[in-house]
Amino acid sequence: MSPLEFVRVALDSLRTNRLRSALTMLGVIIGVAAVILLVALGQGTKNYVEEQFAGLGANILIVTPGKVETKGGPPIIGAAKHKLTLDDSRILEKKGYLFSGVAPVVFGAAEVRLASRSRNVTVLGVTKEFSDVRNIHVEVGNFVTDSDVEAKRRVCMLGRTVKRELFGNANALGQTVKISGARFRVMGVMERKGVSLGFDIDDIVFIPVRTAMDIFDTDALLEILLSVRNKNDIDSGKELARSLLFKNHNRHEDFTITNQAAMLSSLFTILDTLTYVLGGIAAISLLVGGIGIMNIMLVTVKERTNEIGIRKAVGARDRDILLQFLLESTTLSAAGGIGGMLLGTLGAGIIRLTVPKLPVAIPPWAIVLAFTFSVFVGIFFGVYPARKAAALHPIEALRYE
Amino acid sequence: MESAAASEPLLRLRKVSKIYEAGAQAVVGLTDVDLDIFPGDFLAVMGPSGSGKSTLMNILGCLDVPTSGAYEIKGVPVSSLSPEALADLRNREIGFIFQVFHLLPRYTAQRNVELPLLYAGVAREERAKRALEALRAVGIEGRKDHLSNQLSGGQKQKVAIARALVNRPALLLADEPTGNLDSKSGEELLAILARLNADGATIVLVTHDLSIARSARRIVYIIDGRLVTSEEFREMRG
Repeated sequence: MSPLEFVRVALDSLRTNRLRSALTMLGVIIGVAAVILLVALGQGTKNYVEEQFAGLGANILIVTPGKVETKGGPPIIGAAKHKLTLDDSRILEKKGYLFSGVAPVVFGAAEVRLASRSRNVTVLGVTKEFSDVRNIHVEVGNFVTDSDVEAKRRVCMLGRTVKRELFGNANALGQTVKISGARFRVMGVMERKGVSLGFDIDDIVFIPVRTAMDIFDTDALLEILLSVRNKNDIDSGKELARSLLFKNHNRHEDFTITNQAAMLSSLFTILDTLTYVLGGIAAISLLVGGIGIMNIMLVTVKERTNEIGIRKAVGARDRDILLQFLLESTTLSAAGGIGGMLLGTLGAGIIRLTVPKLPVAIPPWAIVLAFTFSVFVGIFFGVYPARKAAALHPIEALRYE
Repeated sequence: MESAAASEPLLRLRKVSKIYEAGAQAVVGLTDVDLDIFPGDFLAVMGPSGSGKSTLMNILGCLDVPTSGAYEIKGVPVSSLSPEALADLRNREIGFIFQVFHLLPRYTAQRNVELPLLYAGVAREERAKRALEALRAVGIEGRKDHLSNQLSGGQKQKVAIARALVNRPALLLADEPTGNLDSKSGEELLAILARLNADGATIVLVTHDLSIARSARRIVYIIDGRLVTSEEFREMRG
């Protein structure tokens, strides 16, 4: 018997018991949909986190002042500087042979004013390296230059939002704005970056780092960003920075060096694991669906004992009967698998529409896996009933009413 | 050559016995049956219910194998065959006609008739062509698209005959074919069998009804699993 005929026979008998077939399939549909949906949710969460941290290179080290102690004990008071300065930044630049960029950052908040329009924004004092290290570039104009920093020039680069609020569609380059009352010349407008971790990167004004120190009257840095030239040197780079700063801080470790990429990757590992666990839990329901298939196939074999007898009498081999029922259970589960895929995808689409912040995404492997698993479930749970059918003696089967 | 071939039996049974294990007790189905069936035979097997008719029919039809003795179809010993080979033999050499028709209820007449061809691996167009031929041979091609459970008893049995014929088997095996039919349909059916026999088909008809057995050319009698002569049969039946 050709495979096509087997499929035809299987479909025929599924059609004669529409409701029963549909209910049996439902078990698989729900199972597959649950797998896809939960995996999509897990993946969506991961995407969300990834988006929030987007632009943060994998090879970035962040030096922040103060020590996050994992051990207890009183804080060290005395010779510690307790803050990061441009001196630290210079040391790292001079002796940090593993770093391709060292970017000190001064943080402040200020009012930016253009004529009658004003806006309270975050002002970051930066050097030319910041642009490459943090992967934020000007769209038009120029970023901070070394001479801007040395000469403490009053120049600024506006984030997209700031530019729009102050200038609208008008050209901002070369115009003068007031930052904390001081006059600044707009030298650049930044490209659009969006929101990261609830922080609007487009709502920032960049000025040269020394200029910022003057305006905010401080010599303390918010942080120093280090980009490590070679990804594999992240750990040795961290150690290098630590020893350089340790020496510069009178042998006090009053700073913290974090590798956010490493933290992220361990977070992603956790999220991946979570995704697999969710998928696994959903797979259990698929298994329950498989038991449903086995149950209904056993009933079917019983009901169609006479048919099996007839088929055997006219020459069906055991193998033919086995394949027929196996194909029937597999068709049930595969159809359920397809239905589940549609339902799961639909559910993911609905989540995407109702919770736009959560970028649910169905990874192709989840679809392939869920479908393959559902087909496998049909075969696995169909084997026993099919074997039972094939093993029937033709005479007994014919006599069965 | 022709006569030599005709003298070679199509089916040959020698000392065929069948014993069923029913629990701890062994039930004798057949004892030492010797029987030759020649090409073109129309043989009736007569006997009361429980006499072993059905056992004989199951063995002739390769649905079961004898416990002892030799059974050959066209010289091929059946007793030693695997279930797969028996299925092939049923498919190619035997056409069954059952008392209760045994058609697949949700299949059309034509698909029922195609069933043996399906397992013989015959291609779709060829199947349809041969099924229609067989349906025409029993005069029911007009019902080919009817579901079998929409047919009357007589029509069902005609479809069953067509199914038995379709793979051109060596032997047609009819087990009480008129048992579920009214007398008119029964007569019609026997007429069809007689005509098929006249056209060369070898037929074995199993029945408990003498008036039906009479339509055959030859009658063998079976009582308590043994073949007996007609005189013995009449004696034992009183």
